[in-house]
Amino acid sequence: MRSKFGRRERLFGYSIVFPYLAYTAVFWGYPFIWMVILAFTKWNYFSKPRFFGIQNFMRIFTDSTVLRIALNTLNFLAYLIPMVLTASLLFALALTKVRFGKTFIMLSFLVANVSSGVAYSLLFSNLFAVNGPINRLLDRLFGITIPWFSNPQLAVFSICLIITWKFIGYYGLILYAGLLSIPSSLFEAAQLDGANRSQIFWKITLPLLNPSLITVTVLAVMLTFGIFTEPYLITGGGPMQRTTTFLIYMYDTAFKRIDPSYATTVAIVTALTSYVIVMLIRKFFEKEVSFV
Amino acid sequence: MRREKIYSYVVTFLLLFLAIVWIYPYLWLFISSFKPAEDIFTTFFPKRFTLEHYRFIFVMADRFERPFVRAFLNSLFISSTVTFSVIFTSMLVGYAISRIRFRIGKFLFNFIIYQMLFPGFMFTIPMFVLIRTFGWLNTYQALIVPSLTSSWGIFMFAQNFKTIPQDYIDAAKIDGANNFWVVLRVMLPLSRSTASIVGLFTFIGVWDNFLWPLMVMKDYKKMPLSVLLASFNHEYASYIGPVLAGAVIQTVPMVIIFLLLRNYFLQGISMSLR
Repeated sequence: MRSKFGRRERLFGYSIVFPYLAYTAVFWGYPFIWMVILAFTKWNYFSKPRFFGIQNFMRIFTDSTVLRIALNTLNFLAYLIPMVLTASLLFALALTKVRFGKTFIMLSFLVANVSSGVAYSLLFSNLFAVNGPINRLLDRLFGITIPWFSNPQLAVFSICLIITWKFIGYYGLILYAGLLSIPSSLFEAAQLDGANRSQIFWKITLPLLNPSLITVTVLAVMLTFGIFTEPYLITGGGPMQRTTTFLIYMYDTAFKRIDPSYATTVAIVTALTSYVIVMLIRKFFEKEVSFV
Repeated sequence: MRREKIYSYVVTFLLLFLAIVWIYPYLWLFISSFKPAEDIFTTFFPKRFTLEHYRFIFVMADRFERPFVRAFLNSLFISSTVTFSVIFTSMLVGYAISRIRFRIGKFLFNFIIYQMLFPGFMFTIPMFVLIRTFGWLNTYQALIVPSLTSSWGIFMFAQNFKTIPQDYIDAAKIDGANNFWVVLRVMLPLSRSTASIVGLFTFIGVWDNFLWPLMVMKDYKKMPLSVLLASFNHEYASYIGPVLAGAVIQTVPMVIIFLLLRNYFLQGISMSLR
């Protein structure tokens, strides 16, 4: 019976796969080839692309803006990764203890995640404005106002803060699912053996949560390398270029400085860098976990 | 045991409080969009509510060359077209590479995983070059056609189709169903949750997309809401009321869809764990 249907089935398969391959060739293959061409040429959208060797790549190493952006990205990572990891871990741990209202809590934290990048950037830039509601409240309570987006370090921190606001629910639930997958017999056995709460946390919960923690870290690293909307709309890359990210630089290079070749090179190098960091995280922190 | 119980109640109330803190920005945004302009930064509950900001957006904004209503409809049109297409193509290609035994299927499956390794921003500039070559700048095609398929969507459907027993397919075929009918009437209903997850995340992704439409669309009449709102804020940031009202309009559809499909959203998160 299978052979009777087999030929017709394969025919059906080809009639799906070939249009798909044709589409992919145009909208994935062609840009892919152009990406390689752009990286090794110099072009201004109009003339013929001129072969440029590896000069685009060499330029990255001498470009002071790229250095500034690399430091900015490290700065973002230094705030965002600890903030996001701790907060979403605490959220996940707390969620296992919740007695009632769990759905309401999960939904409130998750609804932040579906906020549109543009809308929430505008929302927070007004909420945290110099004379905005948050500063008015701080002024009334403590007599201080905080220049959330105009001090260089604070601007980076504030952007990390609102990204944390957006992603706690999402990452927290990944960790929560990880926590639930740890068999409760392990905790009971440890309790019988007389382990206290912090021993259980450091010796059992945290090591067994490793896969989910790595997933969240990797997602957050990739997120950091792709930051665009928030600084573009809130700070415009300033103050003193401190919130300029790779994508803002790519956009400016391609459209304000009319240099698509160099912009593409920046994008390639950014992708490679994020890839290397992810590999390093995997290599040094990922542990095989099995529940025996 | 008693201490444990008290502890868990404390945690519960703390989290309930934090949940309200977390939706506070939304509440502030929503309430502020109905406040008279002078009250936006000063009081949380205003003395009177006003619709002037929404009137500005719906009636006056055209005079500022910012047709908000049209932008909203543009966003709706672009997002639904892409979502519908992604579900349809992912379903078919997913079926081909997971249930049909031919060599190209295996190859395609690996190719799709390979495609997913590349972050999207590597392709933005070359894709812009392609769209420019086609002469598609400032057209709807530029926003729709590059996203008609999704390797992630194909992957999700393929993984799901693998778990469906072959008997269902055979039974349908003995009853005389052709292959297309099998996919549409047997496989799709059995993977309703995959379809919802793919649809939900695709819709949110397209609705929320900013960088790409910012690059290819300079025509205010065809802009999606995200870019129009950003450009309005860029020039008229002092009109805080209308900016916030625009942000509400940009947010509300996503929140509604999220609340309707919240269970699939949760499933989607646990599926992303591999």
